[in-house]
Amino acid sequence: MTSTMQGTLFDLEGALRDRLRPEPVAAGAGRRIAQGALRRLEQLARIRAEFVVDASARGVVAVRRGRRAEAAGAAARRNAERGREELHEYLDGRRAFFAVPVDLTRLAPFQRRVLEGALQVPFGETTSYSALAARIGCAGAARAVGTALGHNPVPFIVPCHRVLRGDRTLGGYAFGLPMKTDLLALERSTPILEGCTSTRILCRVGCAALARSRPDRRVVFASIEDAGSVGYRPCRLCRPDAA
Amino acid sequence: MVPRKDKGETDRDLMRRLQRSGDEQALTQLVLRHSGRMLAVAARLLGSRVDAEDAVQRTFFRLHTHAGDYRPEWMVTTWLYRILTNACIDELRRRRVRPEEPLPAAASTAGRAAAGPEARLDLERALAKVPNEARALLVLRYVEGLSYGELARVRGISVNTVKSQLARGKEILKAALTERPRAMRGERG
Repeated sequence: MTSTMQGTLFDLEGALRDRLRPEPVAAGAGRRIAQGALRRLEQLARIRAEFVVDASARGVVAVRRGRRAEAAGAAARRNAERGREELHEYLDGRRAFFAVPVDLTRLAPFQRRVLEGALQVPFGETTSYSALAARIGCAGAARAVGTALGHNPVPFIVPCHRVLRGDRTLGGYAFGLPMKTDLLALERSTPILEGCTSTRILCRVGCAALARSRPDRRVVFASIEDAGSVGYRPCRLCRPDAA
Repeated sequence: MVPRKDKGETDRDLMRRLQRSGDEQALTQLVLRHSGRMLAVAARLLGSRVDAEDAVQRTFFRLHTHAGDYRPEWMVTTWLYRILTNACIDELRRRRVRPEEPLPAAASTAGRAAAGPEARLDLERALAKVPNEARALLVLRYVEGLSYGELARVRGISVNTVKSQLARGKEILKAALTERPRAMRGERG
């Protein structure tokens, strides 16, 4: 049964079956996919194992390689613990934003401005050194911005990895370009909008209401309209429709 | 489509190993068994082989990092389709956010002269006009032959919604394809 015209009617079922038949897959694709996935897993596990979080009572002051330092005071300890938890959730692909405060008060004013600007780059998106420079009111200072980002004491949480060259090549990264690539890939694989299949409510990933739902009852959507078209409504707690 | 030759272990056995110890060999086995059909679905849904491979890699990456989310009452393939469609749908969201990056499947429009005799290409263009949810269902149904029940499970919707979405998708497809009758006479015609 091939697709034939019958006046204005034609055999759509046949056409779909015919035209959507799977094409042969390139040899070696499976191996390549397995290796790629495993390499990324290994890299993220290494970040998790190697990096520690330091905090003050105001917020996280550093994410660095090395041994954990004893935090001074209960508030600092809480911030460090929270930062560590959120970082691990982020690396596991379960968190699309950091809620823990960041303390940049120990930094020079220019670097602070750069890092505060970097904090505004949304999860899963990227900007350029020059665009960031312009955004913080220092148009033309792309190189200085790059240097300030290169000395970011709070990597991952202050997302200096989301800043690329103007031609969208990677630029630099203090921990090596493979790690920058892996972080960008990680953010690409973490969705933003998820709905719960039993309540039919749509949330932003990281919403407390969503976290209470069973993990196998979550479905990703591309937009609020898409979710609405199959009967999901926006959450009143995290308000994805207001974002 | 993919033979089960490896030590007679079922997909569920492999998932159990993955859940228990993050077993990398188990992950590799699952990739080798299922990545072919996953690639076929992703390529049709995203209209690009490169993006498809990326989405499938993300699917297996997530299968590993979120191994604890799997429940044995799920057929592993249905679970994989759930994760894969999630990854593809999220990719479609990103394209929506950043429209300056061209949509491979939707890059050309009907107004332009039909490039070559490829009816397949016409269908891909028509598919790009179908809203995301209906498109995902159409692709899963016609590339992989999923049942209404499986489709409902994969997308977290009722069987009735599956049916109405498929019907709506087909209507849009039909309209797009009959605009230019030539479209349906493919390489076989």
